[in-house]
Amino acid sequence: MSSFEIGLYALPVMLVLILARIPIMLSMLAVGIIGQYLILGNWTPFFAQMKTVTYSTFSNYSLSVIPMFLLMGQFASRGGMSKALFHVAKTFVGHRRGGLAQAAIVACGGFGAICGSSLATAATMGQVALPELKKHGYSDKLSTAVLAAGGTLGVLIPPSVVLVIYAILTEQNIAKLFIAAFIPGFLAILGYMITISVLAPIWEKDEVPAARAPLRKRLSALYSIWPVITIFLLVIGGIYLGWFTPTEGAAVGAGATGLYAFWTGGLNRDSFQDAILETALSTAMIFAILLGAAVFNSFLAFSRVPFEAASFINDLNANPWFILGVILILYLILGCFMDSLSMIILTIPVFFPVFQTLDFGMSPEDAALWFGVLVLIVVEVGLITPPVGMNLFVINKLAKDVPLSESFRGALPFVASDLIRVVILTAFPAITLFAVHLLF
Amino acid sequence: MTVLPRLHFYVEKATRFFALLGGVMLIILAILTILSVIGRTINAYGLGPIQGDFELVENGTAFVVFCCLPYCQIHFGHVSVDIISRTFPKWLSYIISVISQLGMMVIAVIITRQLYYGMMDKYLWGETTFILALPAWWGYAAALPASALWVVSCLFASLLIITSNHDESAAQ
Repeated sequence: MSSFEIGLYALPVMLVLILARIPIMLSMLAVGIIGQYLILGNWTPFFAQMKTVTYSTFSNYSLSVIPMFLLMGQFASRGGMSKALFHVAKTFVGHRRGGLAQAAIVACGGFGAICGSSLATAATMGQVALPELKKHGYSDKLSTAVLAAGGTLGVLIPPSVVLVIYAILTEQNIAKLFIAAFIPGFLAILGYMITISVLAPIWEKDEVPAARAPLRKRLSALYSIWPVITIFLLVIGGIYLGWFTPTEGAAVGAGATGLYAFWTGGLNRDSFQDAILETALSTAMIFAILLGAAVFNSFLAFSRVPFEAASFINDLNANPWFILGVILILYLILGCFMDSLSMIILTIPVFFPVFQTLDFGMSPEDAALWFGVLVLIVVEVGLITPPVGMNLFVINKLAKDVPLSESFRGALPFVASDLIRVVILTAFPAITLFAVHLLF
Repeated sequence: MTVLPRLHFYVEKATRFFALLGGVMLIILAILTILSVIGRTINAYGLGPIQGDFELVENGTAFVVFCCLPYCQIHFGHVSVDIISRTFPKWLSYIISVISQLGMMVIAVIITRQLYYGMMDKYLWGETTFILALPAWWGYAAALPASALWVVSCLFASLLIITSNHDESAAQ
């Protein structure tokens, strides 16, 4: 068997292992290790590699941004900012038809600006918004779906852990990716709000909109979220202006959100411990997969599969739009089973070289930024689609009396809104790249 | 059978301690980074960035990650895809869980063992970090206890699965 064949067979084997519920990190490591052995014929290179690969993967400076952002999100969840954000959004749109649900979406977007994780956003905003929505007569179907969909804004709106990983894997500029994700993020908020205004008259017969807030009240509410705005501008602005590296920006953000949470009384001994343990759990999980990917990818490089796959696609001379469409649809299908981070780490080393051979008439960097944003959106759709919709699971834990099937049904219109957005952003790359060209 | 749950209790406590230790380290790294940024910003006034801050963050992060691994292991925090396996018969599900945990343990043993040999290499070659010229084996040595605890937590996670006759969800 040639090394290329070994690489080719390894992919389905790994897929089978993953689908059999072997942890993803273990599947990658096992296939990577055995594959390398089959190609090289002895264990020596593997053991030599293992002497340093673990430590060097964990001590990679660009990756150090991940635990910092995770910690920042944990502090933000406990700082009471979610309450203030929901209140502001309520004074602005709460009096409209479906207004409170829209307010929840806007608040999720605001929270996404200081939190880089979907699950944390869904859980934090869910705690604040679900009881309010219930009080105002919203059905369980819509309210749980709204918060699950809103949770995806945690990642769609920068800072975003998924984008950071994409940037590291593809060696792109994190600041540019963050800026590129902005307008698509706003479109996501807009799309969800439109979805709600369409659904509300049909699904929500008992909804009681909030009283219209006078301008003075709106302004004073707006003032109450200054910490969120300050932290966001400091972190993203600082990274963009080159004041600090992404890791430094995340450290500043973690420090600021931590201080704020401490000041508002959101951090006591217990909740501080919880925040750290939650951060530890996600950190270990993500770095374990990254380690698996490091070993697996060095095996893939030996087998030349990414290179051959790229040149195969190149020789096909197929329409690049068709190939891009196939890749995005593959992500949507995978997203039904896998969480977004594992999916990105697993697939980008193969898909990105393939994508790079496609010619869309733009510079390689522009194409990479655009592709990153598209991938980000399609993998996030997976968080609200059955059968494995992590955001819906999180919300379901908060609203235990709601059957999961009800939430999944409620989420479908939001999935539709996501798909429409993907098509628009795919058809018009300029929407994504506009802000990058303007600012850089 | 009473010994195992009690031991498991202590191992869990130890992993919790290491996770918190890692968290404290992470916060120290964040503070160090912030101070360095401030120092760099007001460079003109005679202050400066902290020397070798990148190196400290790099090696500190490695320590943090190693400290988090045992806690994640004993709480079955590693992601897996359970969409198809839900339809598996109980015995198959059990076997897969046991294989997963034992496989993790093999990996943890290899990583810890090679981490030790990696440390010895760095020590014998006298390798140092780029700016602060700290011995490179220090970082490896600092990570070793956490890595060893990871092996222990793998062992207890496996024992829990094997004796529970169930998969991870039931064991938790």
